[in-house]
Amino acid sequence: MRPENYKSVEHPPSHEYELNFGPNHPGIEGNYALKVKLEGDVVTEAKADGGYLHRGFEKLMETRLWMQNIALVPRICVPDPVPMEVVYSLGVEELGGLEVPARAQWLRVLHLELSRIAAHLFTFGGHAATTGMYSNMFWGVTDRDYVLDLFEQMSGGRVYHMYNVPGGVRRDLPDGFLARVSELLDYLERRLPQYDDLFFANAVFIDRARGTGTLTQEQALSWGVTGPNLRACGLSFDVRRDDPYLVYDQLEFDIPTETAGDALARTLVRRAELIQSIRILRQVIARLPGIDGPIRCPLPNPLAWNVPMGEAYPRVESSKGELCFYLVSTGGDRPHRVHVRGPSSMHAVQVLERLSIGTRIEDVAQTMFSLDACPPEVDR
Amino acid sequence: MSKEIKAVRLDEVLGEMEGAVMQRKRPGRIRVDIEADALPTLLQLLKGRAGYLHLSSISCVDWPEDEEFELVYHVWSYETGVLVSAHTRISKQSARYISVYDLYVPAGFFERDIYEMYGLYFEGSPHMEKFILTEWNGPPPMLKSFDTEEFVRDTFDWKEYNPDWLQEIVAKGGGIVE
Repeated sequence: MRPENYKSVEHPPSHEYELNFGPNHPGIEGNYALKVKLEGDVVTEAKADGGYLHRGFEKLMETRLWMQNIALVPRICVPDPVPMEVVYSLGVEELGGLEVPARAQWLRVLHLELSRIAAHLFTFGGHAATTGMYSNMFWGVTDRDYVLDLFEQMSGGRVYHMYNVPGGVRRDLPDGFLARVSELLDYLERRLPQYDDLFFANAVFIDRARGTGTLTQEQALSWGVTGPNLRACGLSFDVRRDDPYLVYDQLEFDIPTETAGDALARTLVRRAELIQSIRILRQVIARLPGIDGPIRCPLPNPLAWNVPMGEAYPRVESSKGELCFYLVSTGGDRPHRVHVRGPSSMHAVQVLERLSIGTRIEDVAQTMFSLDACPPEVDR
Repeated sequence: MSKEIKAVRLDEVLGEMEGAVMQRKRPGRIRVDIEADALPTLLQLLKGRAGYLHLSSISCVDWPEDEEFELVYHVWSYETGVLVSAHTRISKQSARYISVYDLYVPAGFFERDIYEMYGLYFEGSPHMEKFILTEWNGPPPMLKSFDTEEFVRDTFDWKEYNPDWLQEIVAKGGGIVE
């Protein structure tokens, strides 16, 4: 039924127009924006717009004691904070010439791999939500919470643990902790087939993700892509294996790769990595009880600790890719300079801008989540 | 290509660069100190002939006593598993340098970051504009001469905070520990 005075309106043909995608938009990772130009619903130009999360970490760290910075670094990346603590600690240890006891190194691997599982579950949830599958988002977030429970037992903190400190770790594991990790791994292994049914092998998801945001290997290498996004283009590179740190050279694990380079390939690489993390954790659970000893090397008074002059560029493989800190000490009690190189500083800016071009507007969010871009690593 | 051949190429490249001082810091980490005008050539040779395809990052360090910026280009070779950190110094007076965006696309992000945070301009870089600090008109904040605490003291007013509930606690003998 139309009103009597109804007059049909002639719509102009769809023109080019601009759209601010974010900073508050359910389809974008928090506090980040893309300014996109569209022709119809096809993106013709995309410009990343950061700065909404800038908290001046790098500047602030120059005014805090070496040990105080441990409270700051995990806050740089919310979904995957552990690699931040570890990479900072590795850098300070390199500068100060500290030997980390064996048990602490194994505890760090345990902590890192739990964090990788938590981060990947979170990403699966986020990615599923961008394709309209909210059940999987709830699953991902809920299962991540079980990992957070373990973090809480381990360190007292659920999201930010400040568990790794220069010289080792803050405390040993509570009683029965490894058994609980083992239980969680069993649970996750039982859950994976269910995730497959709902998400990874879901025709809706596969149709949406296949061919979205495709990167060739040449593009990936030239644009500075690292981590699972690089491995989804067929290049088998992982800092854990190719530039080993801690005790990763004593562990057996595969580096999963895919060749398609699209959103689907990236997600499948993460799924396979989750299985590899479970495999690593099982080895840690088997070997950790046999490794006794201190969990920290003797440290100078942290309130008056002058770290020797020098520079260090430690690297770790975070769940998102290559994470590095450049630390400079002038021999004082505070860093002279801390430069944070997060993997998302590439993925969320130049790579996302380039990959968005030519996709339809509804796939921009999916492209971003499939890159596992973490805006706080851009802003720092 | 074997790791040995690539390693020889790295030595060759560094041997060709006059004035480049190489230092092996630990296995897989090499530091090179080089003059600013020779650094782009070094990177070109490292990428083109020694397989250093990945620019991991460009770090900038402010050295206020020397009136200089130090730029550190971290490049990584996937084939040999070696990270070369090329260090150079730029005078703060000119605060201008050359972009390596043509060589390494990731440089675009790092150069913009350094321009914003240190005020060091890269000629030929595609994005010499504000990205993070779009609403900031002050001096580049990462400079050592920029004192954040002083800025806060000058910009914001302190307010006395003495609510009723706190007065009640003080009356009972409690309060905020100074």
